[in-house]
Amino acid sequence: MKKHTKQDKGKSLYNVLKAKVDEIIDESPLIKTFVMTPEEQFKFNTGEFIELTLNGLGEAPFTPSSSPFVTEKLEVTIMKTGYITNKFHDLKPGAILGIRGPFGRGYPVDRFIGKEILIVGGGCGLAPIRSLLFTLIEMKDQIEKVVLLYGSKTPTDCIYKPMFAKLNSIDKFETHRSADKPDGTEWDESIGLVTVLLDQPGVDMDNSIAVVCGPPVMMKFATLRLLELGFSDDDIFLSMEKNMSCGLGKCGHCMMGEFFVCKDGPVFTYAEIKHSPEIWK
Amino acid sequence: MQKTIKVNIEQWNRLLIKLADTGEHLYAPIRHNGVIDYKLIDKEIVGEIVYNEAKPASPLKIFFLPIRVNVTRVEQAVGRIILIGAPACDIEGLKLLDAIYIDEKYTDETYLSRRQNAIIIGAPCHKTDENCHCTTCSVNPWPGDGCDISMSFTGEDIILTPMSEKGTGFMNEINSLVNVGQLEAGDIDKITRLQEASAARLADKNNGLPGSEETGKLVNAAERSFWKEHSSKCVSCGACAAICPTCTCFLLIDRPGFEKIKQQDTCQYPAFERVAGGEDPLRELSIRFHNRYMCKFVWKPERFGVLACTGCGRCIDACIAGISKNEVITEMT
Repeated sequence: MKKHTKQDKGKSLYNVLKAKVDEIIDESPLIKTFVMTPEEQFKFNTGEFIELTLNGLGEAPFTPSSSPFVTEKLEVTIMKTGYITNKFHDLKPGAILGIRGPFGRGYPVDRFIGKEILIVGGGCGLAPIRSLLFTLIEMKDQIEKVVLLYGSKTPTDCIYKPMFAKLNSIDKFETHRSADKPDGTEWDESIGLVTVLLDQPGVDMDNSIAVVCGPPVMMKFATLRLLELGFSDDDIFLSMEKNMSCGLGKCGHCMMGEFFVCKDGPVFTYAEIKHSPEIWK
Repeated sequence: MQKTIKVNIEQWNRLLIKLADTGEHLYAPIRHNGVIDYKLIDKEIVGEIVYNEAKPASPLKIFFLPIRVNVTRVEQAVGRIILIGAPACDIEGLKLLDAIYIDEKYTDETYLSRRQNAIIIGAPCHKTDENCHCTTCSVNPWPGDGCDISMSFTGEDIILTPMSEKGTGFMNEINSLVNVGQLEAGDIDKITRLQEASAARLADKNNGLPGSEETGKLVNAAERSFWKEHSSKCVSCGACAAICPTCTCFLLIDRPGFEKIKQQDTCQYPAFERVAGGEDPLRELSIRFHNRYMCKFVWKPERFGVLACTGCGRCIDACIAGISKNEVITEMT
């Protein structure tokens, strides 16, 4: 199948594939998932990202939160956090969006074979992780175990709420959640920053890799805790959030040292980027 | 490959007029109000072309990376342009532009088309400007393998040496249009002497500047306080990047119809790297200032194997705050 990043002769790298918004799911007060049908089947690898365009207004990078095995539909989970994401939140079903991509380097899932996988997610960082989880479910015969640790600001801010019970019912998968603080809604899981869940990571440290995705400050402290636990720099996979604008390694907005995050990432091992400047900003 | 030829200046000017009259787009440096810059050549100004002076005010990238362009429409049939008198520093800068824009995975078709349709006639700098320092960036003040033809003016004749297949093809074209003079050993010697004199002058003038590799190490090692002190006068106008032959960063602006406008941008502008959540690695002026030096002397060389400073010195000419990159680097030593 054709991947849309391959440029056709005479066709601009900046042309979009149109997609119709079928459904908008409220995940939390600030986060919505947009279920779209692209005008052509859309293929991506888990962890790769797209540029999603609002006609005439702007575009922003998002890692699809849906399964890479579903090519007729595409889901993107968006937190309301700035000008363009506010505009996305104002959309109604039927809206036509533009997709460019997929871009970048996603999760190297071949490296996960035979491993126990510890996933640490925070806030809207669970979006790329959900796509990874769909992939890991497909390859569960090849992996040992998946432990998902997820933190949100409050129980209400927890996204994909129905997903956790489903995951816990799958052999080899377990999830643990924390909320930074209670908000009066029902919550029978941990209270505290997501790093509290790392006190008992629940994986065999000798045969594990870790995946971290979330806000920069959470990524920083989760990574430091994972290093304390004994994970090697090369076994911690980080999904970096930078100003990825063109997606092609050209515009320079996402440069992090010598790396173009849009092209060389967004998924990096900590070993690859630990010497880069300002990685947690 | 065809050999070096000599064409009398009168013949050469007639040739340029003939090419311009047939619809060719020729650009060459003209001095206007004391400033040398490229101008579209026609019969009225062909006699005003200046040869082998120091670099024109505009970098060569302006012919390949327009300041503002609609990138959702691939340019159709970009005509041939003949760029006369390109300096070595700018030609060297194209290596980095090519590495970024003619990438194996994502080639920018507009850029590629413009590059393919350009004949670059490079010219050794027999004269140099106050801030020229190409030799400290491992660039000679005469064009090498990045141009199609190398051209020198002896005072009476234009000496043309093909440097690429495209250059040979162009020289074959013009051979039938001009009377080629007899090249004498003294012609080449004269040019060589002028070139070497330029190189010696540059080396002498810039003897306090470290070489490019050493500069990278110094830039990497300099303390935060150093960048704070030296950036204090910077007003983030971005002139240094706009005028730089290797700065290529851009902004994408959306227009109705899912169209996108690519507009020149620079890491020196506030919010260049800001993300929706508000994080901005380049929030502070001194970090943005430092970023430019790191990009030029450390990161781009690591990434692409070429320095992102070719020593043209335009960033020093252009800085309204009077910041001299060369003085900054010298103070690191």
